[in-house]
Amino acid sequence: MNNVTHIKNDLLKDGYYKIKHDSGLTIIVFPKEDYATSYAVFGTNYGSIDTVIKTSDSENPTSIPEGTAHFLEHKLFESEDLDAFERYAKTGASANAYTSFDKTCYLFSCSENFKESLEILLDFVQNPYFTQQTVQKEQGIIGQEIKMYEDVPDWQVLFNLLKIIYHNHPVRIDIAGTVQSISQITDKVLYDCYNAFYNLNNMVLAVSGNVTTEEVLEVANRLLKPSKDIKIEREVALEPCEVVDNYIEQKLSVSMPLFNLGFKESYDTPQRNLKEQICTRIILEIIAGDTSPLYKELFSQGLINTRFGSEYFAGYGFATVIFAGESKDPNEVSKRIKAEIKKIKQQGINEDEFQRIKKMLYGRAIMGYNDVESIANELVSCHFEGYELFDEIDVFKSITIEDVNQRLTQQLDEDFSALSVILPA
Amino acid sequence: MENSFNITEVAKGISVCNYKTNRFKTGRISFNITVPLGENASAYAILPYILSRSCGKYMDFSKLNARLAELYGAALIPSVSKIGEAQIVRLAMTMIDDRFALENESIYQQCAQLLCDLVFEPNFENGLFNEVEVNREKRLLLERIESQKNDKRVYALLRCEEIMCENEAYGINYYGNADDVKALTPKSIFDAWQEMLKKGIIQINVVGNANTDEISNLIKEQFDKIKRDEINRIETKVIKTANEVKKINEQLPISQGKLVMGYRAGITGQEENFGAVRVMADIFGGAPYSKLFTNVREKMSLCYYCSARLNRQKGIIMVQSGIEQENEQKAIDEINNQLKLLQDGEFSQDELSASVAGLKDTLLRVLDTPEDIDAWGYSQIMSKKFQSPQDIIKEIENIDRQQVIDAAKNVTLDTVYMLSGEEGEDNE
Repeated sequence: MNNVTHIKNDLLKDGYYKIKHDSGLTIIVFPKEDYATSYAVFGTNYGSIDTVIKTSDSENPTSIPEGTAHFLEHKLFESEDLDAFERYAKTGASANAYTSFDKTCYLFSCSENFKESLEILLDFVQNPYFTQQTVQKEQGIIGQEIKMYEDVPDWQVLFNLLKIIYHNHPVRIDIAGTVQSISQITDKVLYDCYNAFYNLNNMVLAVSGNVTTEEVLEVANRLLKPSKDIKIEREVALEPCEVVDNYIEQKLSVSMPLFNLGFKESYDTPQRNLKEQICTRIILEIIAGDTSPLYKELFSQGLINTRFGSEYFAGYGFATVIFAGESKDPNEVSKRIKAEIKKIKQQGINEDEFQRIKKMLYGRAIMGYNDVESIANELVSCHFEGYELFDEIDVFKSITIEDVNQRLTQQLDEDFSALSVILPA
Repeated sequence: MENSFNITEVAKGISVCNYKTNRFKTGRISFNITVPLGENASAYAILPYILSRSCGKYMDFSKLNARLAELYGAALIPSVSKIGEAQIVRLAMTMIDDRFALENESIYQQCAQLLCDLVFEPNFENGLFNEVEVNREKRLLLERIESQKNDKRVYALLRCEEIMCENEAYGINYYGNADDVKALTPKSIFDAWQEMLKKGIIQINVVGNANTDEISNLIKEQFDKIKRDEINRIETKVIKTANEVKKINEQLPISQGKLVMGYRAGITGQEENFGAVRVMADIFGGAPYSKLFTNVREKMSLCYYCSARLNRQKGIIMVQSGIEQENEQKAIDEINNQLKLLQDGEFSQDELSASVAGLKDTLLRVLDTPEDIDAWGYSQIMSKKFQSPQDIIKEIENIDRQQVIDAAKNVTLDTVYMLSGEEGEDNE
């Protein structure tokens, strides 16, 4: 019998059902009865940073070429007869997939024929079909995808930064790999990865929209093939505290220099919890958000434009604060940001500022529960990171200024910072 | 009526487009003001940005941003764009619904008030826009124009449209051009602001659970103070058929070639029944089931993306693809060949049904976020008759093969634009 839990939130007046299905798969259904559409994501906890296979029933870890997770995502759409896109064409659903650093997700959105579309999704993801010939064909297509990104300055400035921040962690490699690395991918490599990582115990199905749990389970019961209960051990290389280098530049066809300034963090545990993440978001708003004195100064003096922003770039085994933007003088911006951090670290964060940012982020958090697409994708991320969707709201309420000031002492260390710049060619 | 578009004219040329619903946690309010796309494009282009940076009440952007933070992180999004040959000045806001306010205050009302403050009571100094602000926004607009070059896919598309429509107003960049931006003064921007409020066709979109009557009254009060005798008439020039094919090659230091092919769609832009053209363009290059995706990408492995996008108001179809430079001719030939196959009726009933089902789905999806509903209202601003997504679905549902073939036969190639890497340089 499937085990069902109902998770609710009183403030949002929303809730979802979480089911540990007999096949091993976790299924999450978030009904939104009055919506026109439904959105489903079928994801595996396997992304570009997984460059070795190590499962509880294998003896030795095996290395796999960079870009394999993404390559596999492309190839899974194919089968011996009709590919998945041709099948979806009959239901009207629009389908897609994406690969990130730590997961691979297959999704569709539809307004009609939900069950038929879900059948297609569960079917093609569970039935791989790779041949040497179809692998070769894809090398051409993905080769062009990689080349497309070579012309995207925002992408290049980030990966250049990651390359000088991380010595060993595979977050430093491009999600799609390189033309050279994908040339090593064979049908056998794809099957090996598929068999290891596409085990239902390592996966989740999240559905949000105009659907019921019964509808989802009816299809799931028919189509899911029980998986052997194995455990996958995510292994990422050991990473020193220090950065590789503190400056990198590249020339591209851009009108104005672009920059990414990163502050690397090191921890004994691979993942940052929700409280750490939220405290960091508050800190970044206070240091460089658009109500901050620093933002005002840089903006008024013509050193940044509206594309300036910051993010907490964190995942399994990596955590870096990144400030990004366009500037005629990235070095000066970098200097000012560092000076401001020093100042705020000395003074601490004040209560008024803290309350204002908290109110703002409370509103922004609520905005995140609006559409079926972000809800379903967020459900997948939360599941893999080991918490529930509404935990964020609760953590938010409980955070104090002491928490934030305490968190501030753990991050934004200038000694572990690096600057990546793209200059006009 | 709930969950449908309701349009009310509140004054001459000014309408409120309301989509009332309580299913979202957020709402969306936007001001959309249309002016003819023309010589004065730069002055209009700077307006949404200068108006959303400060106002008489919040005299610099830090004060304004603090106000937005206080409104639970409400987002204020200025933009400028074009629909056909109309330039649209747009200020949009997303806010949380009143039921989440911590002190029972109405966030919708406060946001609507803030938008009115921004649009009608700018931050003036001696009766004109503040000079420091003007200079800063000029710099930012110049940077925006310059940075259109950064995304090469967008840049190639803009260049192709510019070349294809060089003798039409549509060829004008919606940001204007650098020389005109440099010449802007507090006075010229002030004049454009007045002109826009006096003559613009204005639509205010309100999505969510706001009290629309109160918002309509707020807007009416503002416009009562403005003399609006003569409202803009904007007609987009549409060329039905291309005469000869223009072929342009340009170079930049890039790694992948960007190919753009501009077609004339064989329509006037204001047809009553437009369904067949929509379906035809979708079978051609709308989604992964389309001819361009399945052949140019999947069968020939020439590219990662290859798609066709129809611009109804201007009556053009733009095909875009990123390819190896040496495959340029091969790709051009194949794209033209796929159009020819459509014209010859070489497509199945399945392809037609897939396209209708896909389009239908995309159209219904519009109704599931406040942002998309607002964008839909915006997209209809230049149409003679407001159509909802459901109205469009009715138009496409019963399209038959012959209608698609007839629509395809009217399509002609106008311009082929190729952006490639610089010769003699190794860009690997």
